[in-house]
Amino acid sequence: MKKFSFLVLFLILGLVLAACSSDEEATGSGDGEGGGDGEVSGEITVWVHPYTADAEAESAMWDEIIASYNEEFDVDVTIETIPWANRDQKVLTALAANNGPDVFYAIPDQMPQYADEGMLLELDPYLEDNNMDDFVDTALVSTKWQDKTYGLPILQEAYTYFYNVEVVEAIGEDPENLPATWSEFEEWAKKAKEEGFYAMSYQGGGSMNGTLYPFLWQAGGEVITQDDEVMINNEAGVEAFEFVKKMYDNGWIPEDSITAMNHDALWNAGDILAVQGSGISLTNLEESGLDFVIAPPLKNKEQLTYGTTGMFVVPSNSDNPDAAAEFIKVATNAESQRKFNTITQYIPTRESAKDIFDDEKYLGQLAEYTQYALPGVIHPIGRTIMPSIQAEVQSMMAGEKTPQEAADAAAEAIEAELAK
Amino acid sequence: MITLKQKEEGIQKNGKKKLPFKERAKRQWDKNAIVYIFLIPTLIHFLVFQVYPFGFSLVLTFLDWKIIGDPEFVGLKHWIAFFNDKLAWKAIWNTVLFSIYYIVPTMALGLLLALIINSGVKFGGFFKGIFFLPVVTSFVIIAGIWGWLFRGTETGMVNWIISFIGIDPQLFLADSGQALMVLAGLSVFKVAGSTMIYYFAGLQSIPKQLYEAAKIDGASAFRIFWTITFPLLKPIHFYVAIITTIGSFQIFDSTFLLTGGGPNYSTTTIVFYLYQQGFAGLNLSYAAVLSYALFFIILVVSLIQRKYLGKETSLY
Repeated sequence: MKKFSFLVLFLILGLVLAACSSDEEATGSGDGEGGGDGEVSGEITVWVHPYTADAEAESAMWDEIIASYNEEFDVDVTIETIPWANRDQKVLTALAANNGPDVFYAIPDQMPQYADEGMLLELDPYLEDNNMDDFVDTALVSTKWQDKTYGLPILQEAYTYFYNVEVVEAIGEDPENLPATWSEFEEWAKKAKEEGFYAMSYQGGGSMNGTLYPFLWQAGGEVITQDDEVMINNEAGVEAFEFVKKMYDNGWIPEDSITAMNHDALWNAGDILAVQGSGISLTNLEESGLDFVIAPPLKNKEQLTYGTTGMFVVPSNSDNPDAAAEFIKVATNAESQRKFNTITQYIPTRESAKDIFDDEKYLGQLAEYTQYALPGVIHPIGRTIMPSIQAEVQSMMAGEKTPQEAADAAAEAIEAELAK
Repeated sequence: MITLKQKEEGIQKNGKKKLPFKERAKRQWDKNAIVYIFLIPTLIHFLVFQVYPFGFSLVLTFLDWKIIGDPEFVGLKHWIAFFNDKLAWKAIWNTVLFSIYYIVPTMALGLLLALIINSGVKFGGFFKGIFFLPVVTSFVIIAGIWGWLFRGTETGMVNWIISFIGIDPQLFLADSGQALMVLAGLSVFKVAGSTMIYYFAGLQSIPKQLYEAAKIDGASAFRIFWTITFPLLKPIHFYVAIITTIGSFQIFDSTFLLTGGGPNYSTTTIVFYLYQQGFAGLNLSYAAVLSYALFFIILVVSLIQRKYLGKETSLY
C-alpha cells in the first residue's frame, strides 16, 4: 500500500507544480499589457549571438551601441549573448515561459512564422521618424509580413559565384571575363566537363536557398506568394527544375549532389570550377590559398541570388515594447551598422554604411550584390515546405520524375501544407 | 529496478493487515522517514523534468499550441492527421528498416570484438582501446569522417577502393536505396565498441569450469560457443538488444548531419521528422503526437523483447 501513499505524494506535488505554472502565466500576461505610452524608461534585455570568434571586440561594440542609445533614452540595456546552437528552441521556450528577451535576433524564415503566430510586435508605428529609404530594398523584404514591418535589418549577405582561377585558365577562359548569364555559364560548364572538372558545387542535402531557389528566381519564378498563391510549377519554375536536372545529368555538378552537404573537399582539391559563397566563405577561401575571382550573381530573366538578412525583432509579450523598438532603431542606424559590420564582416543593410568596405576588394564587391539578394521564401510555411520541395528535386535528379512532374508534385505538397 | 520491485512486493504482503491508512502511513514514516527525506530531491527532479513534461506533452496533442498566447483545443485533430500522414508512416518504416540494418549487426560485431579481446590475444587492452575509440569520439566528427569516406563521387575513399575490384562508383548517401544502409553502418561503427564492453563483461562472468568440462568432453570451439557462451550471455543479449533498439528508434543525428532526410525522404526517420515538424515547422502539437507514437512503438518492442529474451538464465 506504499504505492498508494506515493501516488498521493505525486498528486500533491503535481498540483503544487500546476499551481505554480498557472500563477506565472497570470502575472506574466498582466505585465505584457503595459507600455505603449510616451515615456521610454525601465530596462530591456537584448539577445544577440556570437557573430565572430572575438567576444571581447563584440562586447565593446555593444557597449558603444548602448552608449549611443542611452544618449537619447534612459533605459538599462542588458545584452545577453546566446550561443547559435538550438537558438530557435531557446527563443521559443523563453518566450513561451514569458521570461524571454525584449529584443532578439531573427533570420528571414523565422520572422513570418513568428509574426503569423502573433509572436512579434508590429514596428510601423515607431518608424515614421526612421530613415527607411536608406535601407537596401532587398533587406526590407524579409522584415515584412502582410505589409506590416516586424523587424529592422542589421546585416545582409549575398551569395554569388567564386571561380577557381587555375581551373578557369585550364579550360582556356579569361578570369577577367566571367559568365553573367545561364547560357554563358553553360558554355563554360561544357568546357569544364570536357577537361575533367565539375562546373559547380551543389549542396542538394542543404537548404534550398543554396540550390533550386536562386535558379528559380533567376528564371523569373517564385515559390509561393504572400497571398498563398503557389507558383513553383509555372513555366519559370519548371525551367529552374530543368536547369538543375541538366546540370546533374551532364555531370556539371558532382554525382553526390543529390544529398551532398558540402563539396569543400572537391573544391579544395581544385576539381571544381565555381562554388557558391558569400562573405563567410571569404575567410576560408583566403586561407585555402586558392587563387579565386568573384563573379556577379547569374542572370536568366532576372539577376537574383540568395542572401540572408539578419534583423532585430521585438516579441509581442515584451514588458517594455517602446524601449525595445527604440533600441532596434538605434542599433540599425548607419553609425551602429558601421560598428557592427566592421567587427562582424557582414554587409550593412544601409547604403550609407557600406562605405566601411570601400577599401576592401572582395567585401566591397560582395556589398554591391546585396541588391540582388533575396532572403528566401518569406512565408510562415517557408521552412516547413522546404523538405518536400527538396525531396521532389532529389527524386527528379535520381531520374524518378521529370522536371514537370517534380515541380507539380512540389506544388501539390505546398498546397497540402497550406491546407493544414 | 529489481530491488524496487521486490520492495514493492514486500510492502504489499505487509499491507494485508489492513490497518487504517493513517496508521499505516505513520508506521511507514516512522520506519523509513530518512529514506523519504533523501528521496525528495530526486523525486522533485523526477516530477519536474520527467512526469510533468510527459503529462503535459499528452495535453499538448489535443491543443493547437501557439507558444505565445492562448492554446486552442482541437480534440483529436492532430491524431487523425497522424494516421493520414503518409510521410509519418514512411518515417516510421524508415526507422524500422534502420533498426533491421543496425541492431543485429551491432550486437554481432560487439560480440565478435568482445570474443577477440577475451581470447587472450596479445595487446588485448590495446585493441579494447582502439575498438572503443569511436564510442568516445564526438558523433559529429565520426559522421564527418564517414561522409567523407562514403562520398558519392569517383574520388570518394570507398569508391576508390571498390574500383580496384571492378565495382563502378556508387552514390551511397545520394542514392535512396543505399543511404539508410550507409547511415546504419555509421551507427554500427559508432556503437559496436560499447556493446563490446557489455559482452566482454558478460564473457568474464561465465564460470570457467563449464569450459573446462566441455573441453574434457572433447567439444569443438564452435560447439562450446553455441552451447555455452552464447546461451549464457542471454541477460547481456537482452540488455544490449533493448538499448540498441531504443537507440535505433531514436536515431536522428546521422540523418541530420549527413543527408538532411533525403534523398526523397529515404532517410527521414521518425525523430528527424518530429524535429522538422516541431522545431522547424513550429507544429509542436503534432510533434508531440509523433513523440507519443514513438513512445508506444518503443514500449511495445521492449515488452516483446522482455517476453522472449528477458527470462532469467538458469545455469545448470
